[in-house]
Amino acid sequence: MTSRNSHNISTTTLEQLNRQNYRKLYVQLYEKIRKKIEDKEWSVGFQIPTEKQLCEDFKVSRATVRSAISELVRQGYLTCQQGRGTFVSKKVISDKLTMFTTFGELFLEAEIGFSTDVLAQTIMMPVDDLADKLNISGDKHIIYIKRLRKVDNKPILIQETYIPFHICPPLLEEDVKKNSLFELLEKKYEIQITGVRNYIDVTYLDVDEGRLFDLSESSPALVLTQHFFSGETQIMYMRSIKRPNSFVFLIEFEKKIGDDRMNYKFSKL
Amino acid sequence: MTESKVVKDLMIDVFEYPHVPYWFTIKQAIMVIKKSLIETEKCFHPLAILIFDEKYNLLGTLTMKDIMRGLEPKFMRTPTEKAQVSEEESSLYLIWDTLFTKESKQLAEKPVGDIMVPAKFFVEPKDPITKAAYIMIFRDLGLLPVLDDKKKFVGLVRMIEIFDEISNAILKE
Repeated sequence: MTSRNSHNISTTTLEQLNRQNYRKLYVQLYEKIRKKIEDKEWSVGFQIPTEKQLCEDFKVSRATVRSAISELVRQGYLTCQQGRGTFVSKKVISDKLTMFTTFGELFLEAEIGFSTDVLAQTIMMPVDDLADKLNISGDKHIIYIKRLRKVDNKPILIQETYIPFHICPPLLEEDVKKNSLFELLEKKYEIQITGVRNYIDVTYLDVDEGRLFDLSESSPALVLTQHFFSGETQIMYMRSIKRPNSFVFLIEFEKKIGDDRMNYKFSKL
Repeated sequence: MTESKVVKDLMIDVFEYPHVPYWFTIKQAIMVIKKSLIETEKCFHPLAILIFDEKYNLLGTLTMKDIMRGLEPKFMRTPTEKAQVSEEESSLYLIWDTLFTKESKQLAEKPVGDIMVPAKFFVEPKDPITKAAYIMIFRDLGLLPVLDDKKKFVGLVRMIEIFDEISNAILKE
């Protein structure tokens, strides 16, 4: 087993976390450790530094270190052994295996032929069950974006997005008609989306939704709800209602030989 | 001295107050006030929420008093805003009491845009606080929006800070 001392993590070998960055510190720490593992700098079986050591090296709290470590454990990069320490796992799940599809394709963001009307880009408080859906307290401000997606000028998708304001304040003033939300978050503001949870259900259109689709109220429609995560923090909740008979969702599962995890592909036909 | 102070010196952050869009119902606004101000014990005065449009333009404010007024059964509404209440009207309280929960539950489904106090008066960060005080006193406002030179909503002035500043000046003399 590789000894800890020979791979001591220190501020001289890793640059410090950026405290001006919108991304949370534990997400930054998570990425730095993950990179070490993916680059094989920390090989399988390597015992990573203790929580205390990581706190000192990165000048962060123990809670920050624990969040980063637990996310790496959850994703299969590390394993914790009671009384011994934390080690690089034998089976490392690469980033591509868990999320190999581009977000543009996966989340209907950059489809060719889509035109977009921004119906709202404002701020609200979480009412009804929105605080639970975003896993935030009820007194947090939320950026609310509502867009109508059209193909050949025909409305096919109503998309409502809820993002806690503190996650990315400048998003309120961004052009979300031309730009993909995911590109803005990941490329411009460096908030990496590391996980997504999708739910598909049937809904019945309310008066406003019916009017936007030029359909009667209570018409059935498919609704896709998505919870987006950066590390363990939920950063966004999106609800997309599709016009009946406009397109279908395809979910395709793939299983790689030697890998127990199922991966999926999700796109429009 | 009070004369030397400007609005910017007393201005508070807009995010001190909850934000809701105009299409939220009165019921949702009540839930927001409970969650954001009462449960968090942020009970500073005035207890209010800010109402915005789809493009994050400030439309108005909503206080607890505005909500109560919005829930008042229609037939009880007085023709003038500040009607005098006399002892003889005590019997009306009883009727109000019986109708309050029934009709008011229906009224609570109305959008807040219908009952808010529209934001018509503003100050700029460089304005003297005496200007803010003048507007708030003569327009009977507890909260006054601050817009910058590009008409962007950048803060709020409250009566409590204005009062504090003016009273300090008076006590000094």
